[in-house]
Amino acid sequence: MKRTRSFIVMLVLAVLFAAMTAAGSAQQVITVYTSVDEENAAAILKAFTEATGIQTRMLFMSAGPALARLDAEKNNPVADVWMGAPSENHVLAKERGLTQPYFSPNAEVLDPKFRDPDGYWTSFYMNPMAVAINKQWQARTRVEAPKSWRDLLKPEFRGQIQLPTPQSSGTAYNMLASLVLAWGEDEAMAYFKGLHANVQTYTQSGTAPSQAVALGQTGVAIQFTPAFLKLADEGYPIEIIFPEEGVGFEAPAVSIVAGAKNPEGAKKLVDWLLSEEGQATLSKAKTYFFPIHPNVVAGDGLPSVSEIPLIDYDPIWAGENRERLVNRWIDEVLR
Amino acid sequence: MQTQPRLYTDLHGMRARIERIKGNPAVSLTIVAAFLLVGVFVVYPLVKVVLKSLESPDGLGFATYVKIFSGWYMRRALYNTLLVGVLTAVIGVAIGFIFAFTMAKTDVPGKKIINLLAILPVVSPPFVGAVAILLLFGSNGLITTQLLGLYDFRIYGLKGLLLAQVMTFFPIAYLTLRGVLESIGSSLEDAAFDLGASRWEVFSKVTLPLAAPGIASALLVLFIESLADFGNPLVLAGSQFPTLAVQAYLQITGMYDLAGGAALAVALLFPSLIAFVLQKYWLGKKRYVTVTGKPSRNRSMAVSPAMKWTLFGFCVAVSALVLLFYGVIFVGAFSRLWGVDHSFSLRNFEYVFNVGLEAVKDTLLVAVTSTPVSGVLGMVLAFLIVRQRFVGRRTLEFVSMLNYALPGTLVGIGYLLAFHEPPLALTGTLAILVLNFVFRYVPVGMQGGIASLQQIDPAIEEAAIDLGATTARTFRKVTLPLIAPAFFSGLIFAFIRAMTAISSAIFLVSADWQLMTVQILSQVGSGRLGVAAAFSVILIGVIVVAMFVIRWLVSRTLGIRVNVNF
Repeated sequence: MKRTRSFIVMLVLAVLFAAMTAAGSAQQVITVYTSVDEENAAAILKAFTEATGIQTRMLFMSAGPALARLDAEKNNPVADVWMGAPSENHVLAKERGLTQPYFSPNAEVLDPKFRDPDGYWTSFYMNPMAVAINKQWQARTRVEAPKSWRDLLKPEFRGQIQLPTPQSSGTAYNMLASLVLAWGEDEAMAYFKGLHANVQTYTQSGTAPSQAVALGQTGVAIQFTPAFLKLADEGYPIEIIFPEEGVGFEAPAVSIVAGAKNPEGAKKLVDWLLSEEGQATLSKAKTYFFPIHPNVVAGDGLPSVSEIPLIDYDPIWAGENRERLVNRWIDEVLR
Repeated sequence: MQTQPRLYTDLHGMRARIERIKGNPAVSLTIVAAFLLVGVFVVYPLVKVVLKSLESPDGLGFATYVKIFSGWYMRRALYNTLLVGVLTAVIGVAIGFIFAFTMAKTDVPGKKIINLLAILPVVSPPFVGAVAILLLFGSNGLITTQLLGLYDFRIYGLKGLLLAQVMTFFPIAYLTLRGVLESIGSSLEDAAFDLGASRWEVFSKVTLPLAAPGIASALLVLFIESLADFGNPLVLAGSQFPTLAVQAYLQITGMYDLAGGAALAVALLFPSLIAFVLQKYWLGKKRYVTVTGKPSRNRSMAVSPAMKWTLFGFCVAVSALVLLFYGVIFVGAFSRLWGVDHSFSLRNFEYVFNVGLEAVKDTLLVAVTSTPVSGVLGMVLAFLIVRQRFVGRRTLEFVSMLNYALPGTLVGIGYLLAFHEPPLALTGTLAILVLNFVFRYVPVGMQGGIASLQQIDPAIEEAAIDLGATTARTFRKVTLPLIAPAFFSGLIFAFIRAMTAISSAIFLVSADWQLMTVQILSQVGSGRLGVAAAFSVILIGVIVVAMFVIRWLVSRTLGIRVNVNF
């Protein structure tokens, strides 16, 4: 009896061990590293599976960790597709040889600024940057709503601004690079140094400021619009402002991983994301993202793109200068 | 109390032992396997990290270190890390000592409750303190905003981090020092009293010096823990108060700089390693244990009533703070929207079950798989090191212990670098998580096993062998039951640590294998404190249940009753 029992235990352990190291089978499944947040990514991928029948496995990682993970795995890639993360990150991935080119037929109708000329990445939605202010805080402190970036330097905002840190957040870097492109590097850095005095905290993730401003933990938050729009829709007391000097925007992209185990499935995902059906899903799934297909209209609750003052953003330049600019920001602004 | 292994001066005995080893292939095989395992899963990743940090355009060099540390920010990170380490150690040990002294030397009421509250932080994720602090003192905190109406209080930075670390780590100091104070016994103090010494004289000239090595040991342990702490600084330190472990992580994941991250992790290694070596090998020799007499009869003599109640008051206050921390987590988990709407709601738990169920299942699987492996491996290693003689024995002991002293960040990066290509392509699998946990927490079981084995007369085992048992059978039937308490503590510790690990695990999670601790930090980072609290409640609940289950299992299998004496 004892013998049988220990034999069974060993058998179980052996099976467990085998299971541990076995790779998953690669039938019609694609592995997606998503930098789109989990809720929205799940909704998007679910619609994709319903439309094409291809199963997906996803892991959420924001831009930085995703790049690092792809890099670490480059000799033996696990993922097939990297979905999401602003395009400058995909520029970096292309430079490091982590992705492979694919010219989707659906990409031809897009504005050239939304795709890589060599086909390594294609944007599939965009979000402008915005400032959100908590109306209850504003009523209590009687602060005038900021109309421009420079208004945020005023002393009444001391300790009341939350935004992400460019050390880990693509959102924050986008803001940094946009203002550098708009004002020139020295003036932009001086601005951030001035802003620093009013910052309550720099958050790790790009979406934490919206939570804080919605709940009244901070008076002002800076990040991309989707979370703001969603929270406003849900009834939180926030007002969304586009500073008059102009705002940057992100155009998150999708790339196929170099050496992907299921490139055919990956291509189908890219095609679907850029199709009218895929783009319409962005509104249907209430992602609050702006579609970039010229024939697809943004959903309810979204302001028209033409009303937003956009800064001309060059993701390739941004990608190339990231390390230098972030280091300079750390050096000059945080001190 | 016997602390030295028995020396064999008997030549015949020694020869017989050597022959027994040589003629015992099972043992030799185990020794070889032990070296191999430890070499591959402890030494190899460490080497990879160091090599990565020394990568430069032309062979090996210090270019990365120069680049990283020429900026003021990283130098500040190094300074901050050491500063917080020292402060946490000093304050944590002070609090721990007061607790230990009160429990061991006075007869205050409510000891059981105070004891329970004091060790609660040990069974929870190390950064639960940080989450609680945010809920209480954050920008919409219960105390700062709701109670005191302070809208501009910033808890981020040194003060928040220090509070979190002290509350998280003082129990470790308490447990160590309580053991030390209790083992000292009071006969020497009683003698001093009889000779007419005042209470203060007895304390300063007898108790304190006897406890000094224990205090020094606790200081070093807390220093090491503080240095390696990742979750608390990630949540509370912020960009303006950089620390090494967080910066190493951000350098890799935010700046895509593996070499830079490796360099930061190595910089973190040196103070830890120095403290570890000091604690194990220099202090380890100086242990002041008085001859065991009966436990103190006259405890009430040690302190005056005024002092006794002051100490009691202090312990109650700190315990109340611990209770507040865990209470607020509990309340936060069941609140609809922290800071805005505190009505009862299961919303957060719904979110956990929709989005986070995978993480719960995976964490359990990893913990349940790695715990027994870790426990058994620890005992086997302890047995080899204490009972067998072979070349490199001390090296094996040191290296096995080493993994425990290495900061988790360093080990995580090491595993990532070492195991992402064939022949051992383990990234993204369950195996890498399990192996990481097994080898990180083996040392505790091993240490307990070594201490226990050293107190057992080998004659018992020799008797079994003389009666015909194989070494394996002897180990299972004679040795293991005798070291069961150490085995049991090792199991519980390994399970708790596996459930609450973060600093190395954060590098190793994947699409298929998630961990609750990583989820919690991610929720905190996204501002969803309620969900983070819900996860924490589930995590702590699982640990408590598991402790009872493990105790039952061990009692059943080994046929003895073990009690956890925290």
